[in-house]
Amino acid sequence: MTVRRFLLRRLVFIVPLLLGIVFFTFMLVRIGGQDPVEMLAGPTATQAHIDLIERELGLDQPLLSQFLIYIGNVFTGNLGDSWISSQPVLDDILRRAPITLELLFWGVGLGALIGIPVGLRVAGRPDSWFDQCARVVSLFGFSIPTYWLGLVMLFVFFYLLGWAPPGIGRIGLVVIPPETITGSYLIDSLLTGDWEAAHSAFSHLVLPVTCIAIISAAPIIKHTRAIALEVYRGDAVRFARASGLPRWVVRRIVMRNSTVPVMTFVGTEITGLVGTTSLIEFVFAWGGLGQYGLNAIISGDFAAVQGYVLFLALFSVIVFLIIDLTVVIIEPRSSEAT
Amino acid sequence: MTTIDLPAGRSERRWPTLNRLVGVGRRSPTATVGFVIVVAFALMAIFAQYITPHDPVEAYPRNILNPPDAQFWLGTDGNGMDISSRVIYGARYAFAIAVPAVLLSIIIGVPIGLWTGYRGGLFDEGLMRFFDALRVFPSIILALAVVAAAGPSVINVVIVIGLLDSPIFVRVVRAEVLALRSSTMVEAARAAGNPTWRILLVHLLPNAIQGAMAQTAVRAAWAVRISATLAFLGVGIQVPTPEWGVMIRQGAEYMVTGQWWVAIFPGIALVVMVLGLNMLGDGLQDLLNPRRKG
Repeated sequence: MTVRRFLLRRLVFIVPLLLGIVFFTFMLVRIGGQDPVEMLAGPTATQAHIDLIERELGLDQPLLSQFLIYIGNVFTGNLGDSWISSQPVLDDILRRAPITLELLFWGVGLGALIGIPVGLRVAGRPDSWFDQCARVVSLFGFSIPTYWLGLVMLFVFFYLLGWAPPGIGRIGLVVIPPETITGSYLIDSLLTGDWEAAHSAFSHLVLPVTCIAIISAAPIIKHTRAIALEVYRGDAVRFARASGLPRWVVRRIVMRNSTVPVMTFVGTEITGLVGTTSLIEFVFAWGGLGQYGLNAIISGDFAAVQGYVLFLALFSVIVFLIIDLTVVIIEPRSSEAT
Repeated sequence: MTTIDLPAGRSERRWPTLNRLVGVGRRSPTATVGFVIVVAFALMAIFAQYITPHDPVEAYPRNILNPPDAQFWLGTDGNGMDISSRVIYGARYAFAIAVPAVLLSIIIGVPIGLWTGYRGGLFDEGLMRFFDALRVFPSIILALAVVAAAGPSVINVVIVIGLLDSPIFVRVVRAEVLALRSSTMVEAARAAGNPTWRILLVHLLPNAIQGAMAQTAVRAAWAVRISATLAFLGVGIQVPTPEWGVMIRQGAEYMVTGQWWVAIFPGIALVVMVLGLNMLGDGLQDLLNPRRKG
């Protein structure tokens, strides 16, 4: 009951949020200095030719009616065509989304797998040798530019050591990709039992996933530590200690009490790391949605930018929703607070 | 033991700021290291023309992709330009973008935070929801989209970074003001007949500004990072400007053919500078916000 009411209340906010975002992006790309018509027409085009393209793209209409037409189309699932790939934007996005999600979730998953235990551990012994190390390492993680880390990884593991495949694409050039089931080469090839493709897909994943894990682990360590430290100072731990409970029981209490805030934090991290992932895709020529979005923005592909931003917002909203929902389910008392 | 005991706190009275700084250094080695790094880069930026061995944008066509040697300390890039000189000049661009960008976000963010925090109401609510909506996007995507729309130039990069970062200062100041708004101090000031602007400027600002100041170094680190990222993506500052992100972009293709020095050195400079600012910021936050300590 509470869960359903919670969901309804959330959904009421999401629709205006998304509408606002669509409007914002729509105006941003049009007010800006990028002129796709000039780009499409080329430098030698006559005025008549330019007018023709403008009419074809619907750019001769007043802004507001352009917007209304666009919104109407969005509701029917038509996000327009990309002017660069000449494909429907929705198809482009849906085809590329799993490629990026795969990278994102392995990366954040690995980052959380390292970051959360380390953060919990150092919170138990603040200012110890291990804590200082973790602090320095996480400061480094905050400071390293994603794309540069990717380049250094490629240099060391591909050029120098020859352990990793080159940073072009998600699978070896001579390997036949598995048939599409989920869109992830690794999972698809495992499902179809294609070991060669699985091996190739896995080896292509290692470097980019490691980069994202390194970048994502830094803030996770920092925040998990802060959260757990707070719990260590709380009454529950003081009582447990006063009762003479063994250390591992105390640690379990801390873990339980930190779960909700840590989960919420990792969730917000996921959406923030879309930017990191996009840069990594850019460096490794991954060909996912992140790279598509970056290219669309850089080249002023209006429809693609709008679709991409809408999709991004939708993704963030869904991630936040899932996290809030999980929190409400595992900790019902928090639903009253929201 | 024949030393004469000076009255306690005498030296402290004479050099209050200096003593505080020394105390800080002892308490927070991280901040000290960060401070030293940032000062070193600042000196590099100021004296760039005296310490660089070559002109940063002069091409030596016979020395394209030279590995590091005595003449070109850090090698040359694909245009035959000296990388050591370019890395040193790069510090200028880092400061030239980060300092005005952070100033801009303070100038925008602090007054808005003061006003909305004090007044509350519909505007405050609306603004906070707008900031929440902005958080849906990764900062780099937002910055990229706005810079791409505004057109690539250093000024635009500064303005966009300053604008995108101002919500942080709004939030910090607003939170402080909210906590102080109904305090006895403010109530007394109001009862004494102070006009609103005076309460805001004289009573609330000095108390709220500390939290904002604690953020500056970390925000500068973010500004340096994001501007370099924009340049790396080819938006913002362009080739052949000696800016670190641009240089990494130029060197990217050589990373897999073995000419590592083109992208590695500007990257190291970028990492060290951002690390220094982050370390300084970490220390500042501990210092100016005792609640966060530990």
